[in-house]
Amino acid sequence: MSDTLLSVENLRTVFHTDKETIRAVDGVSFDVQRGETVGLVGESGSGKSVTARSVLGLVEEPGVIEEGSIQFRGDELVGGNWDEHRGDIAIVFQDPMNSLNPVYTVGNQIKEALRIHQDLRGQEATDAAIELLEDVGIPDAARRVSEYPHQFSGGMRQRAVIAIALACDPDLLVCDEPTTALDVTIQAQILELLDDLQREENLGVLFITHDMGVIEETTDRVNVMYAGEFVESAPVDELFDNPRHPYTRGLLASIPGRTAGDERLPTIEGEVPTSTSGPTSCRFAPRCPHAFDDCEQVHPERIDVGDGTVDHEAACLLYDDRFEESAPEEKFADDGGERA
Amino acid sequence: MAVRTSRFTETLTDGRTALWAAAGVLLLVLQFGALANFVVGLGIDAILALPGVDSVGFLTSLENAIQSIPTLLSRETVPNQGYYDGSGYEGTFLGLAPAMAWALRAALIYLYAFAALGWVVWGLRIYRQEHRAADWTPRDDMLNRFRGHKWGIFGLVIVFMFVTMAVFAPALGPTTVDQNMRNSYGHEISYWDSDTQSVEEVVVGQANLNSLSVGNDQNVGLWTYDDYGRFHPFGTMQNGRDLFTFLAVGSRISLVIGVLSVALSASIAASLALTSAYYKGRIDLGMVLVSDAVMAMPQLLLLIMLTTVLRETWISDVYSGGFLLALIFAFTGWTYMWRSIRGPALQISEREWIDAARSFGQTPLTIMRKHMLPYVTGYLLIYGSMTLGGAIISIAGLSFLGLGVQPPTPEWGRAINLGQDYVRTGSWHISLIPGILITLVVTGFNALGDGIRDAIDPQSDSAGGETAGAGGGA
Repeated sequence: MSDTLLSVENLRTVFHTDKETIRAVDGVSFDVQRGETVGLVGESGSGKSVTARSVLGLVEEPGVIEEGSIQFRGDELVGGNWDEHRGDIAIVFQDPMNSLNPVYTVGNQIKEALRIHQDLRGQEATDAAIELLEDVGIPDAARRVSEYPHQFSGGMRQRAVIAIALACDPDLLVCDEPTTALDVTIQAQILELLDDLQREENLGVLFITHDMGVIEETTDRVNVMYAGEFVESAPVDELFDNPRHPYTRGLLASIPGRTAGDERLPTIEGEVPTSTSGPTSCRFAPRCPHAFDDCEQVHPERIDVGDGTVDHEAACLLYDDRFEESAPEEKFADDGGERA
Repeated sequence: MAVRTSRFTETLTDGRTALWAAAGVLLLVLQFGALANFVVGLGIDAILALPGVDSVGFLTSLENAIQSIPTLLSRETVPNQGYYDGSGYEGTFLGLAPAMAWALRAALIYLYAFAALGWVVWGLRIYRQEHRAADWTPRDDMLNRFRGHKWGIFGLVIVFMFVTMAVFAPALGPTTVDQNMRNSYGHEISYWDSDTQSVEEVVVGQANLNSLSVGNDQNVGLWTYDDYGRFHPFGTMQNGRDLFTFLAVGSRISLVIGVLSVALSASIAASLALTSAYYKGRIDLGMVLVSDAVMAMPQLLLLIMLTTVLRETWISDVYSGGFLLALIFAFTGWTYMWRSIRGPALQISEREWIDAARSFGQTPLTIMRKHMLPYVTGYLLIYGSMTLGGAIISIAGLSFLGLGVQPPTPEWGRAINLGQDYVRTGSWHISLIPGILITLVVTGFNALGDGIRDAIDPQSDSAGGETAGAGGGA
């Protein structure tokens, strides 16, 4: 733990609405080391993006970070200290069409970041912007720098967004579904670019996606998120070889091609619940094929489920010795659990 | 710097641009004296407005020097005030009849104004075709859409003519405010007395008294001469003064108050709307409460109360009370604009580039100015244009009631008020002409607002707009 960039401890981000308080992120803890890619995976509404926005201090009213700590290089950020570390943490958003302002040229927007973080102006800044565009693999950068976002293709726009992020000279890059809006070939190119950049600059990356395939390719360590909580955390190989939480198994089972011979792809029935109160039960229990009576009564804590050589945690009563599995219902016809 | 200089010289040596620049210089030279006079006069007025300053000797001599510079569109170059000496006209331009000389000057002024407008459009086209790096921007589509919007163009032309009238008011009138109204007993004019068959002298005040328009018995109507050979394009008023001169100068005060109040309320509205959209939550709620409270005040009653309460103070003397009016209009008017702009501003604040800018540490003020303001300026233009029409009506309405701009400063509403007793007689023009003009100008501002709205909103693309975005794919 020598070079820890980001350390999130027991983070809880809530949204106060007129009717209720929604716990979008509820007690999440993770670290990102320098040069490491940490994945955050889960379906829509599980709180992935809110986690990312919390890390960057972008949570807006009515949302508020209610509890927990976010430390960047040991400095506490919660409580409004983001300004001192602006630029150290950069973000790449999902939709490149939306994260570039259409009324300014791409160069203008890169220069805006350069001006703030590297104090470059005029021709100097233009040269630096051209260099950044070249770094992210945009051909003919000297001409492209004075073009508007609408003149760029989707993949090039995302490259430009990455160039803006790099203009801040960050240590930590948060990628919030950076390839979701792109088609598969462009997605592969962007992932490769991010991988190269990470190795060159030795960045820490927090990679958010709902795509298990992308997770397998890019990350070192994976946190599986469900209804605002981490239900399982493990190094990527361990998670894919030996998934312990029923939700993770369900996710893996629903990747096309992984379940051989099956005609129909297994799915997880139902939707992610909206958590409005403190945890009193397992939030996945209503959808869980292995749920038993205690699952409705007890909130599972994260326990070590590894074989001692790897750092593998899951929050499931199945692995808690204090509870006895009683009469599990089989909801998945053939899930990853058989192989585990 | 070297790059910039070479680019500048390159620009000037390029054929079309050089021609354009030359045309600009020509247009400027024709009116340089008037422009310099205006700037210096403004400076003198500003200094004299400061408490404790009584004279500005140095600037006054400068003003006198400037006034000797000939300008094309001035009373001196194309004079219309002359007299008939039995054989021909003395003192008018080329010996033309006063009506013809005045019409010529008015035509020249409008010709000049439209030439200047054309010059700007021409310059924009050259810039778009030759100097701009991008071959297409979203603004191009807006301009093209506006160009195909007949109602908007109608509004633009009306508004432009109104602004021209206000800008060239002193040169446009057949006589001057000073000679005809403020100091009419301090000026003498010569005229041809047909009884004695000789040229006589008369004080303007006396001549006015004999040129009243007070019904069927005594009337100086549209496009007529009075007994003293003075030409009145819109006839005279009930007190014998020239209506056209009154209206031309009155247009200036309407425009200045209107623009000032709308600019003030637009800047209040825009800054508050951006603030509430950026911070949301409690700040937004607080502003809703404040604007509701201001909206709840009856504007007309507030106006009447404030003009009465502040009657004796210095602020009511600034620009004949026009400044105070503008302030009151701005203070009560921003709420409506704020409401209209808040929605679009909230929409923009949800866009991801705002978060992106925040994530790399851009300051809130710069984010509002750079990343949000461009998206609400269109709305500001639309509502500004429409509010301006409303402000002009309100100013006229107040003058009609005898409030607002103090006499003898000409104001359109007062002309309507003064003429209302004669609407059913031959002197109908006193009320009716300013009334028609107000309606026309306000309609023009609203039409312009409509045109801008349709131009800005791509979804209002009409059939003619299909080709507009063709260049976008490059």
